[in-house]
Amino acid sequence: MSNGLPRAAVVSAFLRSFLIQGSWNYRSMLGGGFAFAMLPTLRRLFTEQPARQAALARHLELFNAHPYMSNMALGAAVKLEAEGADADTVRRFKLAVRGPLGSLGDGLVWATWLPGVSLLALTLYWMGAPGWVAAATFLVVYNVGHVGLRLWAFRVGLAHGREVGGRLAKADLAGWTERLQGVASMLLGGLVGAVLLGGDGLRAAGPVWVGVAAAAGAAGLLVGHRSWRPAAVTVVAAVVGLSALGWLS
Amino acid sequence: MPIVLYRVDERLVHGQVVIGWGSQLHPDRYVVVDDDLSQSQWEQDLYRLGAGGAEVVFSGCTEARGRLAEWRDAPQRTILLTRDVATMSRLAEGGALNGESIVLGGVHPAPGRREALTYVHLTEKEMADLAVIAAAGADVFGGDLPDSQRVDLDHLRRRWNSSN
Amino acid sequence: MELLQLTLLGGVLALDATSVGQFMISRPLVAGALTGWVIGAPEAGVAVGAILELYLLVSYPTGGSRFPEGATASVVAAAAAHEGSGGALALAVAVGLVWGQLAGSTVTWLRRVNARLLPDPEKGPATAARVVAAHLAAVLLDFARGAAVTIVGVLVARPLVARLASTWPIAADATLGLLLMGGGVSVGILLRDLGGFRRRVAAFVAGFVLVGLGVGLL
Repeated sequence: MSNGLPRAAVVSAFLRSFLIQGSWNYRSMLGGGFAFAMLPTLRRLFTEQPARQAALARHLELFNAHPYMSNMALGAAVKLEAEGADADTVRRFKLAVRGPLGSLGDGLVWATWLPGVSLLALTLYWMGAPGWVAAATFLVVYNVGHVGLRLWAFRVGLAHGREVGGRLAKADLAGWTERLQGVASMLLGGLVGAVLLGGDGLRAAGPVWVGVAAAAGAAGLLVGHRSWRPAAVTVVAAVVGLSALGWLS
Repeated sequence: MPIVLYRVDERLVHGQVVIGWGSQLHPDRYVVVDDDLSQSQWEQDLYRLGAGGAEVVFSGCTEARGRLAEWRDAPQRTILLTRDVATMSRLAEGGALNGESIVLGGVHPAPGRREALTYVHLTEKEMADLAVIAAAGADVFGGDLPDSQRVDLDHLRRRWNSSN
Repeated sequence: MELLQLTLLGGVLALDATSVGQFMISRPLVAGALTGWVIGAPEAGVAVGAILELYLLVSYPTGGSRFPEGATASVVAAAAAHEGSGGALALAVAVGLVWGQLAGSTVTWLRRVNARLLPDPEKGPATAARVVAAHLAAVLLDFARGAAVTIVGVLVARPLVARLASTWPIAADATLGLLLMGGGVSVGILLRDLGGFRRRVAAFVAGFVLVGLGVGLL
């Protein structure tokens, strides 16, 4: 039992959180998924139809956050509803929490953990590890962090309810992001080393290509994300041009 | 340092404000003017998490009117936020925001509101309040990000009038 | 049979990217490896997946993302890479980049459809049954979308790559050089995202030296 709710309802909310982005849409974003994950709880708490529909409606409203970190809002919403919090409190909580859960999660997971573990796998691959070893390493390491974060976030939400702000500040996710970014930068250097010096790497292509790749790296560093599309278009255009050349000759 | 931005945005201290506006205006401090929030510790804790290290001050509207001069004269660069037009218009009473620019962004649909911009929805009362603020001498316009096009109040009102 | 397997794989991987789980089996490296395993060419699959992973290092599966859909594109690219020698790798990567862009637009379409599928509480009371039905229908639709994007892509890309790979005009080393140029941009963007050159240059150089020594000793 948690907060007077049967354990089954709480476990079901956690399992359903893996589908929280299942109906991602431009009107309510995670709204449909959040309501879907809240349903087992709402079914037990509200047996009368009008009250259940009202509760469902407030969880169908627009909600957005990082999908893993949204578990903290979900756990807290389960606790708030179980304690009989009024609709206004639930709404205000979800409005206030979505910004930090979005920005902290995006910074920690999408901008750091995901590329970091990806860099680890790619470095292994270019150092000569078999492909399946690189892919398996990526999946195992990434998901230890992923599922761990989902569990932690859900439990913090369930334990602290609307007071998660203090706990979240103490967890110092921004500090963890900063430290992991240092490690990821090292892996980035490692990947460049492996690609440059490894057996099937860039060294075999010759100094011209090493220079071109270095210039491309400098462009990315200076211009940022806006340089990605021109680079992809250039590569595709070069492949198309060379194919045409080969086909005609 | 003056208050570098006055903004009406329901999401308050939020990615679009902190990253979008903050990266250009480099604020040291966010002042959130809201009577409910100034009394609610748990909500303050949550909004503080999104400020990217800047100080966040919560203030009721009456207190804020008394402290405007202090914030304007302080060395810190301040972004002042309210989550509704009503609070901004109370803050502006008596011409307190004359000569300032007030940006509207992130006011979402609600019963009684009509669309003025995809990201700004207003009731009759809110539209009238904005006209009063502007008539007193403040520059009121819509804009979601600093680089996006600013939409003047007249233009905003025409679009609001033509939507249903 | 293989085509059916690839179609199902595309559907499942498309789901992983956003709708179900985000275990990141949808990342190009894993998607390429799985595709290679299905078609009996594991190393070719990983080779394409690794290049595409390098490109998509800076593409995060966030809501507003305008980057290509990596999952289905990687299945299509890895399935096509097997179809010839020479320039097959380059052609497959190019096909993957283009197909990812097309697949991305179907994701946008699906997100508009989802808004209409879900009950809107402002337009009438929402029942539990309708929420469950709409949510699961959206998941099913995403699976069908991913599967369709994959099978069409495979059917188009395989003959195209097979035909053009045989007359590919440049050597394998230069081909890899061309492909890694695009990867270089990702490395630069990522270094910027991770804190910028000044703050991260020491860690970057340390990693470079360590791996360089490791490769040298191996």
